[in-house]
Order: sequence, then structure tokens, then C-alpha cells
Amino acid sequence: MEQNNVQRLPAEQLFQKEIDALIAAEKDPVPTGWRMSPRSVRTYICGGKVGGMEITPKYIGQERLVEIAIATLVTDRALLLIGEPGTAKSWLSEHLSAAINGDSTKVIQGTAGTTEEQIRYSWNYAMLIAQGPSLGAMLKSPVMTAMETGTIARVEEISRCASEVQDALISILSEKRISVPELNMEVPARKGFSVIATANTRDKGVNEMSAALKRRFNIVVLPSPADLEAEMEIVRTRVEQQAGNLDLNAALPAEEVVEKVCTVFRELRNGETLDRSQKVKTTTGVLSTAEAISLLCNSMALAGSFGNGQIADSDLAAGLQGAVVKEEEKDSLAWKEYLENVMKKRGSRWSGLYRACKELNQ
Amino acid sequence: MGNEPFFFGIRHLSPAGAFYLRRFLDEKRPKMVLVEGPDDLTDMLVHLQNPDTKPPVAVLAYTKEAPVRTILYPFAEYSPEYQAVLWCGENGAECRFIDLPTEVFLALPSVEEASQGEEERFLVYRALDRRTGEDGHETFWERTMEQAGSAEGYHQGANLFGKSLRELTQGKDSDWEEILLREAWMRKQIREALGDGISPEEIVIVTGAYHVEGLKGWAQEPSQEEKERLCHLPRVSANHTLMPYSDYRLSSRSGYGAGNKAPAYYALLWKALLHHAPMETAYHYLSRIAGYQRNSGSPVSSASVIEAVRLSYELARLRGGRIPALRDLRDAAVTCLGGGDMASVSLAVADTEIGTKIGSLPEGVSRTSIQEDFYRQLKELKLEKYRDITAQDLALDLREKRNVVTEKSAFLDLHRSFFLHRLRVLGVSFVNEKKRQQENATWGEQWVLRWTPEAEIELVEAALKGDTIVQAAAFHMKEQADNAGSLPLMAQMIEDSFLCGMPAAAVYATDMLAQRSVDAVSLEELAGTIQRLSAVIRYGGIRQVDDAPLLPILEKIFYRACLLLSGACLCDDNASGAVADAMQQINAAALSHDFLNEEAWLSALWQVADRDDLNAKLSGFAAAILLERGQMNTERLKREVLRRLSFGTPAELGAGWFEGLAMKNRYALIARLSLWESLDNYLEGLDEEAFKRALVFLRRAFADFGAKEKDEIAENLGEIWNLNGSQVSEAVNGALGEKEMELVESLEDFDFDL
Repeated sequence: MEQNNVQRLPAEQLFQKEIDALIAAEKDPVPTGWRMSPRSVRTYICGGKVGGMEITPKYIGQERLVEIAIATLVTDRALLLIGEPGTAKSWLSEHLSAAINGDSTKVIQGTAGTTEEQIRYSWNYAMLIAQGPSLGAMLKSPVMTAMETGTIARVEEISRCASEVQDALISILSEKRISVPELNMEVPARKGFSVIATANTRDKGVNEMSAALKRRFNIVVLPSPADLEAEMEIVRTRVEQQAGNLDLNAALPAEEVVEKVCTVFRELRNGETLDRSQKVKTTTGVLSTAEAISLLCNSMALAGSFGNGQIADSDLAAGLQGAVVKEEEKDSLAWKEYLENVMKKRGSRWSGLYRACKELNQ
Repeated sequence: MGNEPFFFGIRHLSPAGAFYLRRFLDEKRPKMVLVEGPDDLTDMLVHLQNPDTKPPVAVLAYTKEAPVRTILYPFAEYSPEYQAVLWCGENGAECRFIDLPTEVFLALPSVEEASQGEEERFLVYRALDRRTGEDGHETFWERTMEQAGSAEGYHQGANLFGKSLRELTQGKDSDWEEILLREAWMRKQIREALGDGISPEEIVIVTGAYHVEGLKGWAQEPSQEEKERLCHLPRVSANHTLMPYSDYRLSSRSGYGAGNKAPAYYALLWKALLHHAPMETAYHYLSRIAGYQRNSGSPVSSASVIEAVRLSYELARLRGGRIPALRDLRDAAVTCLGGGDMASVSLAVADTEIGTKIGSLPEGVSRTSIQEDFYRQLKELKLEKYRDITAQDLALDLREKRNVVTEKSAFLDLHRSFFLHRLRVLGVSFVNEKKRQQENATWGEQWVLRWTPEAEIELVEAALKGDTIVQAAAFHMKEQADNAGSLPLMAQMIEDSFLCGMPAAAVYATDMLAQRSVDAVSLEELAGTIQRLSAVIRYGGIRQVDDAPLLPILEKIFYRACLLLSGACLCDDNASGAVADAMQQINAAALSHDFLNEEAWLSALWQVADRDDLNAKLSGFAAAILLERGQMNTERLKREVLRRLSFGTPAELGAGWFEGLAMKNRYALIARLSLWESLDNYLEGLDEEAFKRALVFLRRAFADFGAKEKDEIAENLGEIWNLNGSQVSEAVNGALGEKEMELVESLEDFDFDL
């Protein structure tokens, strides 16, 4: 099939079967504009069993946060997901809209170059000049389409947009309509319309969101995984999924490998060892769970393409070096300190990785 | 079965339970209500029914003899038991408590020691949490029971919950024996109540839902064994009292029956039930949080509150509920009012959920006499406003106020001070004395007062020691004095009795002290005692307490200290510091009181200063004291220096002596040129080995001299060597050169043990 050649399928296609099963088994009332009840959305995100079908958990973490997010969307409030990079904000946002609307593709990617037109509407200028303003010449933004269809629009990395662009959202979220003076018309939002925005806590201060805009969102803060076990579980599941997509020709990372990567990441991120007995210098990088996942996939690719298909310590060390040392001098020192003071003393289980890392970090 | 009493199973501290119980009672109109609670507390019912009793209150039962054991039965306004008691008062029905009497409870072996985590029922709770996906069984209970729509629903639900929990856990928990015993006792009480000519259907029995199944077999004749057991229960003699309780304490002792985590929130639930509008709770809760946020400076709009209410409803609906539970409300508050950040609303949440309410009791109700005394004095001394959960500062000025009319108000602060010190001695945590800022501000005291239910409990515990605060404090101090191991501790008791304005106690402790001081004690102990007694005598005047009985004691101890001095100076350098401190203290006392035997002290000092066989440092120190007091003249000092530093005396002894001499009145030393001349001569005369040895000790002696002092010494030396003073100073104070460093380093290899 043609679909199989797509690099990354949208969530609703990837998990089509699960969504269908949930819709088929629906027992609770479904809000207007939704395809399934809030409870089914929760099952889709957090996992469970429906009519003999196992629903894989998409978000591994506090179920309560997912509930708050879903409940927010039921009240037709906009939802703002905030968190450190790599805490599955976009992931959750994509799956929420996939489950609620069966369509996660109405996305605006917030960048410094995003303009107000991209939030509202713009024109096909050739047609505009040829025919004058007409519906046909209008290019609707994903937000406008979502309003018309009563579905959910996603705005990624909202805090990267300039503040006037952010402000364009205020009137949309409070009036729930977009006026098009050129055509002398107004597009009202149908029931079911809402916005899921994501913002990065590390980007604070780049374009701080105004109080007026913040007030129009219910804010849910997504935390970093609470403990090593939770983080390992997330990493394991996601690596499995990605590896399946990428045909990496390598064995899935062993439990021990996942544990080592997560341990190193958590310790450097929190500035102390897991048993809290020792302080550790933190590095400039975020070292998010998402990075741990891509690091392992990378190592798998290395092992698959140049090694024997098993992730070796040298593959892992290369990945760690790249993830940890972002700003050469400072991070390199912190990493060296960590290797000598923490990893070296961990005994034989870690000695292979220690030597490989030490060799690379000269 | 027409002949059954009605069992109404409840959960303690449950608003819905209280509400539906009242409705149930209104409907059944029983003649008698039996409530789970120690049966010897039945005399407390009148006080609980008194309209001036404002919950939260608690009944405290305590053993009359040490070690004191206590148990608490807290009642909030929404305790079903409390409402049952009130209902009986309002409707003329008889009310009885039917559980084991407190005397037995307090005598039963304590089961608290078993770790909670191992108990079967906690495993059941945890399994329940997992099943429901809630954050704890509190939430489960709230969603299922507190939000029950009808009396019948609550009734059945509670009974089912109790029954199931019982089936799952029976015989497995460590308190199972106790539960069986209690239920046997309650069954007996039910039978006895029926014996009074009331028919079963005229009785309603209010107990924890858990016990309902255990009480149903009440009609069966108990086995012989059970009868025996009930007749021979262990007992200790116990008292009980009603005391005000606080929301805070209800929340901090959470655990089934003893409290809950959010007493103020539960009070909101109760109010909403009374208004027949269970939805109200959400509005009140979220508005209160918004109000708190506004007061503390973060603006919260009404629109956000409305959004929060809507979100909480949706969250409840996701869980299949109609009404938001506390968990939904809190999450909605965090999301909509706190920007997703718990920390920014945590104070508001604590304030709204826990609250600061303190219960109150009508005057004279069921207090122990010591509580009576406490409240009377609180009123008399105008301290009532300090009886508050928030800590408040109180500054006292003990001096007589001359601009007021009555003597009472002139010495108000002094009497307050006595009162507070007595409470302090008794260990009542209501009072906390701040450390005095200035050593000599004897007329000022700083206190921090904060009333907590714990303080009330401590007060009640003090009832064992006496009927009034003064009596209890006196008894306590007597006990302390009898058990005090060391003299300074006794002197502390004496000081305390002066602070408390209790001369009789002071005399008692003083007598004890007089007896003990004859026994072998160290100089340090004596000195500590002398210092405390001296302080009492010097500053006692402001407290209007007669210090006459202390004078002979101090005199006696002082003389003893003089006699012991030279013996104590026979010690090594490690011990010499403590002895020097003691000498300092004794000397200070000698200077402050002219009734002390000065002559004995001086001759003791002379003896130490003159003798060569004592610790050289202490001899030096004694000389320093004599020098300071003008007893030793320059001539004598010079002679002493020459003698101590003469050739043949080991260098460390000489230097040690000088170190002792330099511990006091340095300026007097610096000013004496002849002294430095002698020192110079001494050093000149030493051979290299001895010089190195002396150098180390002298260096130590001068180590804590300041730069200015060193300057002045340099000037002296300059004069002796006919050099410019500032040049010498530069050489002395300046950093070491390379060559000098080498020399210093070579000293490291020097073997001082030779």
C-alpha cells in the first residue's frame, strides 16, 4: 500500500483499528462534534481493553492529567499543555485530536516567522487579483477550518510566535468567530471547536504569553517522568514503536541498556544521583525522555548498519556523548566529572560503558 | 423481625452520614439512641448538647497516674455521633454511649505499634484505590457515600461497605481482638438498654459501619467465657475532660475516625447539605480559593472561577459522578486558577481545605480545675487574645508602671511573666520564650504565644501534678529538684522558681542544693551554680521575690569553691579551659557580692599563682586575675615573670604560664614595659633548641592578639631595642619572607616530645 511508504503516519491512521473499536463499543454519551465519549478518549490515551481489543497506552504518566485535559476540551475551553522539552506535549495533543475528531492534521507550527494570516486566513493572490475577494480566493487557516467543522485545531510551540500573532488567538477564543471584512461575512465556530496549544517551559521569556491569552486557556503542566521505572517504560514502548517504523535491522535494546541510558539522563537532569547521595553537575542540554528515545534509536541504527545488530557500549557511548555534550567545554567537563565520580564507581556492570565514554570524551 | 433495633452504620466525620442520620431519626423518632463512644462519657452528653459548645471539640481521657496515656474522641459539627447527640437533646430522647469505658481502653495494650502498612484493611483500601483509579479511598468514599442521594442510599451503602470490609479483613488485623471485645461490650449495653423497658424498635444504634454486622447478634445470650471476660476487664483509673479542638488538628491526625484531611472542606459539604444544595460546595470552595488568591495579590477573575466550576463538573462526569469531589475541585483550581501549577495555589488550597477554626466551650464546662485556673488567669492577665492558632509576639516590661492606679496593673507584666514562666516550666507549648537580645535587659522579656489543642492536652496532663498552675508548677519543680543529677541543674531550678515568682519552691530547691553541695562535686559545677545564684540575687529584685534564703547558700558554695580551687588547678592543658572558665565565673560573683568571703578567694588565687606544681597556664591566669584586681603590683609581676621564665624552667611551662597571663586584661600587660623587657631577656638567653620549643608556645599565646595589640607590643619592643616602632610593627605583622618560611617549615620536623 502507498501508506506504508509514508515516513510518519498521523496518529489517527496509525491507530485506526483502536479508534474504530472504541467507537464501536461506545456506551457513554458523546459530546457534539466528538467521535467518542470522553471516557473512551481516556481509554485511547491511557490504554485499556475494549471489546476484546487491547488498547495500547499512548501517554504513560499521570492519568489524572489526561483526564483534566479531556474535561477541559469538553467544556469547549482551549487547552494549553506546558512542559519541558520532550515531555510528550505534542504527542498528547496529536493523540487527543486524533481520538476526538479522527483528525490530528489541523496544525499550526509556531515559529518566529508565523504570521497572523496563518492563524486567521490569507489569500490566493493570483485569484484575488483576477477575481477580487471571493470565497474561492480565500485560504483558510487550520484554525478557521476547525471552526467551520467544529473540530480541534492544534497550535504547536505557541510561545515561539510573536505576541501579535498570539493575540490573534485571543479574539478567536473569546468571540469564537472570525470576521472576514473583505467578504462582509463572519465565520462562527461550530460546537466542538477548540484549540490545543503547546508551549515549552525552556522557551519562557522568548515571547512570554500575555495574561489575556493565558486566561483563555486551561493550563496543564506535563511533568518529566516521576521515577526511573516510569521513564524506562516510556522509553521502551516508544523505541519499540519507532524501531518498527524505521526497519533498523537491530535487536531492541536490552533492559540493561535502557536502564543505563535513563539513569544517566535522570541523574544529569536532576543534578543528583538516583539514590540522592551525591550531587552531580547539570549540563546545558535538556536531556529529555524524547532525547533518550532518539538516542536509543540512533544506537540501534549504528549497531544495525555497522555493528552486529546488538547495541554495544561504544554505540551507546557515541549517542551519550552527542546528547550530553552540547556546549563543548562546559558540558564536556561536567560529563567527565560524572564519568569519574559516578559511573566509574558503579562497578563492573558499568565499566564497559565507562571506558567507551571516557575514550570519546577527551 | 419486628423486634430489632435500627442500626445506622456511619463513617466517623461524614457530613452526609450526619445529615441522613438526622433525617432518619426525624422519621423513626426513637426513644433512645445508642452511640458508639465510651460509656463512661455519657455524662459529657449534656455539655455536648449545650448550645454554647462550638465544635470542633474533643473528649480527652487520660490516666490518673504516670505514665500518662491519653485517648481523644474528636467531634466536628458534621460528626454523625455529634448530630445524634444533638438530636436527642432537641427531641427529648435518651442518649447513651455504649462502647468500652475509657478506663478499659486505656488499660488495653496499645495496638498502635503495629505498622499501618501491614494491616489487612490498608491492603483492602489500596486494592480499592487501584480498582477505582482514584488517589485514595477518601475520594472513593466521597464519590460513593458523601454524594449519596438519599438516606436509604447512604444507609445501604455504608452497611455494605462495612460488611464487605469486615468479611475481607476479619481476624487478620492486629486489633481484631480489641474489636471483638468492644462489640461484645456494645451488645451487652444494648441488652441492658432493653432491660430498661424500651422495646427494640424504639432504639436507634449509631456505630461505625464496620461494627453493624458484629452487633446484630446482640439478642443471643453470650457464652460463659464472654461473660467472664467482660467481668474481668483490665482497668486503670482515668479522668476525662471536654476540650476545644481545631480544624488543623483534625486534619493532622487524619486516619479513620480520628480526623480527615480536609476538615474545612467537609464543613462546606455539611453546610451545602443543610441548604439542600449539594452543588453549592463547588462554588464555595472555588470562590474561597479565588478570594484567598486575590487577597494575597494574584488577580483571579470571576470568569476563571466559572471555568473552574465547569471543569470540575466535567472531571466528575469522567468518573461517573454528578457532583465534583474534592479531588476534582482541587485539580480544577490548579488548572484554571493556578495556571497548572499546584505551588501557586497551595496556600489557598490549604486554607480552604484545612481551615483555622478552633472550637470553644461554654465557661465552666467540664474542665479540669487546672484548665479552669488557666482560663481564669488568661482573662485576669488580659492574655485572652493570644489564645489563637496564629503565633503572636508579646513583649513584657517587668518594671513597675508608675502611671497607673492599681498595684495590679502596675505589675501586670510581671504577673504575666510569672504565669508564662510557670507554663514554660510545665512544658505547655502555648508559651515560647525568645532568647534575650541583650544580656543585661533584665526587665524585658520576649514571648511568642500560640495556642494549639496540643497545649490544652499538655495542660490537662499537668493536672496530674496539681489543681492549679502554681501547684502543678511547684510540684513539678520539686520533682525536678529531687531528681536533679547535678548542682547547676538545681541552680537552674532555683532560677526557674524565681522566674515563676515562687519563693517557696526556691527555698526547697535551695535546701536540696545545700545538702548536695557537701558531696563531692567539681569546681566547674560549683562555679555554674555560683553564677546562676548570683544572677538570681542580682536581678531578682525586679521580680519582687525575697532572695534572703539564697545568701547563706551562695556564701557556703563560694567558700567551698575557694577551697577546691588549687586542687582543681592540678590538671592537664585539655582540662584547663573549663577550670579557667570556672575561675572567671567565681571571680565575677566575688566582684558582684560583697557579702562573699573575698579574702578566701584572693588567698586561693595567690596560692595558685605562686605554686609551681600546678598547671602553668592556670597559674598564669590566676596571676592575671590578681593583676586585674590590683592585687599584684608591677614589682611583683616582674619578679614573677623572671621566675617563671628563668633558665632551667622547661620552655613550654614558661610559655604556658605566659599564655594564661595573656588571657585577661591584655592592655594592662601591654602597658607594662618592664614585662616585655623581661620577656625579651628570656628569649635572648635561650639556646636554639629551647628557643624553638618556646616559640611554638609563645606563638599560641599571641595567636588571638589583634593587629592593633600586636602593633602596641611592637612599639614596646621597638623601645626596648631602640628601634622605630613602626618598623618593628611592619616586621611583626607583615607576611613571611621566603627564608622565614623555610625556617618555619624546618620547625615542622622538630620533635617536641624530647
